Amino acid sequence: MDTNLVSREDYITDLPESIIETILTKLPLRDAVRTSVLSSKWRYTWTTLTELRFDDDCCISDAHHRALPETGLVKFVNQFLLLHNGPITRFTLSSEYLERCPYVDQWLLFLSRKDVQELSFGLAETEWFKAPSCLFSCKKLIALELVRCELDPPLHFKGFPNLKRLNLQQISIAPDAVETLISSCTLLESLTLSYFEGAKLTVRAPNLTYLMLEGYFKDICLENTPMLVVVSIAMYMAEAYQSSSCNFDKVLGGVPSIQRLTGHSYFAKYMSIGNTLGKIQPTYRQLKIIDLYQVSFDDMTEIMVILRLILSAPNLQTIQIEGSSWSTDPLDLDFWDKECPRDATFAQLKVVKLTQISGLPHEMRFIEFLLGNSPALEVMDVTKNVYETDEDEDMFMEILAFERASDDVEFMFAEDQV
Amino acid sequence: MSEPDVIKPEMMKSYIWLQTADGSIQQVEQEVAIFCPFICHEIHAGMGSSKTYPISLPARVNPVTLSLILDYCRFHQVPGRSNKERKSFDEKFIRMDTNRLCELTSAADSLQLKPLVDLTSRALARMIEGKTPEEIRETFHIPDDLTEEEKLEPLKNITDDPRIRLLNRLYARKRKELKEKEKLKNVEVEAEHVDDRSVDELLSFINGENGDSKEVKTAKNKKKNRRRKEQQKNAPPVCANSNTSSSPSNGTKESNGVSSVSRDDRVKGHCLPNISELLKLQDSEDDRFALDDDFDDCDIGDGIDPEIKEQIDREVEDFARRLNSDWPERVQELLSLGQERRPSLYSINGNGCSTKRSNASGLEKHEK
Repeated sequence: MDTNLVSREDYITDLPESIIETILTKLPLRDAVRTSVLSSKWRYTWTTLTELRFDDDCCISDAHHRALPETGLVKFVNQFLLLHNGPITRFTLSSEYLERCPYVDQWLLFLSRKDVQELSFGLAETEWFKAPSCLFSCKKLIALELVRCELDPPLHFKGFPNLKRLNLQQISIAPDAVETLISSCTLLESLTLSYFEGAKLTVRAPNLTYLMLEGYFKDICLENTPMLVVVSIAMYMAEAYQSSSCNFDKVLGGVPSIQRLTGHSYFAKYMSIGNTLGKIQPTYRQLKIIDLYQVSFDDMTEIMVILRLILSAPNLQTIQIEGSSWSTDPLDLDFWDKECPRDATFAQLKVVKLTQISGLPHEMRFIEFLLGNSPALEVMDVTKNVYETDEDEDMFMEILAFERASDDVEFMFAEDQV
Repeated sequence: MSEPDVIKPEMMKSYIWLQTADGSIQQVEQEVAIFCPFICHEIHAGMGSSKTYPISLPARVNPVTLSLILDYCRFHQVPGRSNKERKSFDEKFIRMDTNRLCELTSAADSLQLKPLVDLTSRALARMIEGKTPEEIRETFHIPDDLTEEEKLEPLKNITDDPRIRLLNRLYARKRKELKEKEKLKNVEVEAEHVDDRSVDELLSFINGENGDSKEVKTAKNKKKNRRRKEQQKNAPPVCANSNTSSSPSNGTKESNGVSSVSRDDRVKGHCLPNISELLKLQDSEDDRFALDDDFDDCDIGDGIDPEIKEQIDREVEDFARRLNSDWPERVQELLSLGQERRPSLYSINGNGCSTKRSNASGLEKHEK
C-alpha cells in the first residue's frame, strides 16, 4: 500500500477537502452532521458545506414527541446555521409542515449576507409565505425557486443582476411586477411560471433560452425573446378571447431560434385567434419538435395554426399531437386542398405520433397530408380512441391505404379504451 | 514511435506515454487518455508523445488506480453507448474494496476526471449514509481518537432526536462521573443526582412565581455551566448536565437551557420520606466538592405536587419504554454501569425535587 496516500490505515480522512465536501454534499444533511463524531479531524468538516438542503427528513418526527414536526425543523436549521462556518452557495428549504414563521425571514436575511447563489424555498400549503424584502437584496443569486409565495418587490428593486434561472410556482405577484422582474433580470436564461394566475404577460428577456408557462393567462406576448430555444406553454383560458392582433405572431413572432415547441390545453386555440397582419411570416429553421395537446381538428383555425407551424419549419423532425375532436361532420374538407400546397415537403420529418384520434374526417386528411409529403418519415404512430360501441378497424386500414412518400414508414397502431 | 515529439499521422491509433510517481512508464491509446482533462492539457503542452518525454502523472495516481481509470475512460469515451449501458458499467465498476475506492477517488480528482469523482463520491456517500459512527469508522478505518470527554460532549443536538438528547444527558452524567473519579479516588460515589430537565422546568416555572429565586437560580446555573463546560462552544439547548444518574427519568419536554443544578447544591426538598438519608450524604459530599460557593439558597418552595410527580412518573415510564425499544446496546451498557451504584430508589437533584429512579431491573419494570 502506498503510504503517501493514506495516513496509517485511515482511507478516507486525508482525501482532499474538495472530495470530502463532495461526499458530504451527497449525503442527507443529518448524516453529514453526524460525521462529526467520527474522529477529531471530522469534527467540524461538515460546518463548511456550501450546499445545504433542509427538508422534513432532517429531523425525526416522533409520534411521542410533543413538539410539532416543524418546530424540530426550525430548531435544526437554527442550530445548523449558527454552527455553520463559511459561505453558503446553495440553500434549499422544502417542507410540507413548516408554515411561515419569523425564523424563515431571519434565515433569508442571513442568507442574503452570505452571498447565496441558489435559493429554493417551498413551505407548507396552508399559508403562503410572504417574501421579506431581504430576498431582493440577494444580489448574487443565480437561481431562484419559490413555491407558494407572495412577492412584492420593493420600489427600488432593480432586478437580480446575476439571475439566470427563475422558477416561480404558485406565486402571487402583481402582473406588472412580474413583467418588471423578468425584464430587469437581464441575464435570465430560464423562466418557469407555473400555477400562475395572471392576466396578460409580456416577456422581455433578451437572453432567455428556456420558457415554460403554465396557468391562467389571458394573453401571452413574447416581445423580446430572440434567443428562445424551448417554449412550453400550458394555457387555461376561461373563455375564448378575441384579440385584435394575431396571437400566433405575439407568441411566435419573435422566436426565430426556437427548437422545441410544446403547447398544452388551450394553446392551439389561443394561437388560432386573430389574423396575421400580413407581416412576413418567419421561418423557424431550428424548429425540430412540435408537441401539441388538445388540438381540436373540428376547428379550422386550429388546423391552420398547425399547418402554418409545420409549413414554416423546414427542418422539423418530430410531430406529436394529441387530438380532442368530436365532430364527424365532413364539412369543409376542401379546405385541405385549398390550404395545403401540393409541393410541400417535410424533408426532415421522421416521427409522427398522434394520440386520441377518433378517425374523424379532418384528422384523416391531416394524416394523409403528412404521409404524402414526408419522404423521410420513419414512424407513424397513431393511437385511436375506442368507444364501447366501436368495432371497426377501418381507420387503420384507411391510413395504410394512403399514399406515402416514404417507403420505410413503420406504422404503429394502438387503441385506447375511452 | 521512434521519432520523439512527432506523432505520425498515418498511424491508426496514437499512443501516449504516461509516467506514474513510482517511475514506471506505460503506453496508452491517445483517444482513451485524453478523456482525462489533465492528460489532455499535458498533450496540448507537447508532452507524452514519446517514451523519453512521458506525461508525469500526479503523485496520487499509482499504477493500479491508473489502470482502473483507464478502464473507465476506455469505456466511456466511446460515443455510441446508451445511458443504460453506461450506468450498468458504472455500477459494476465501483465494486471494489473501500481502500481502493478512496485511492481511486483521489487519483481521479488529481486528473480532473469529474464524472469519475462524482461516481466514486456517490459510492462513498452511500457507505456513510444511515450508518452508525462505529460502522463508518470500521468501514474506513478511521481512528477513534476523540477523547471520552469529546465524545460524551453533546453533539450540539442538531438532530433533535429525543434519543440523542437522552444520550447526551447520559453522556454528560458519565462525564461528570469520570471527572469525579479523577478528583476523588477515595471517595465513594454514592448518591447521584437525577438529571431531571422536565422537572427542572416545572420547578422553575413554579419558582417563577417567586420571581427572584428563578432568576437567581438561572444566573447561578449559567455560572456553573460556563465553568464546567469550557469545552463546549455554544450553550446548547440540551446542555451537559452535571448530574450523574442514568435513570431515564426525563420526559419529552423541551428544556430551554435551564440546566439542573449541580450536585453540590444543598437539597431542600421535602417531598419524600427517604430523602433525608440522601440529604445527609449529599451534604457531606458538598463539603468535599464545594465547587460552587455561591449557590446556597436554593430555596425552591414547598416540594412537589403529587400531580406533577405523577406526570413525572408517566414521563419516566414512557421514556423508558421508548428507550428500551430501540436503543443501541452501548447505552444499555451505560445504564447498567450506572445502575450498579444506585443505593436508593430516590434521588434528588439540587433543586430539591425528586424523581423515581429506576435501576436495571426497574427499567424492565417500566417496560412492562
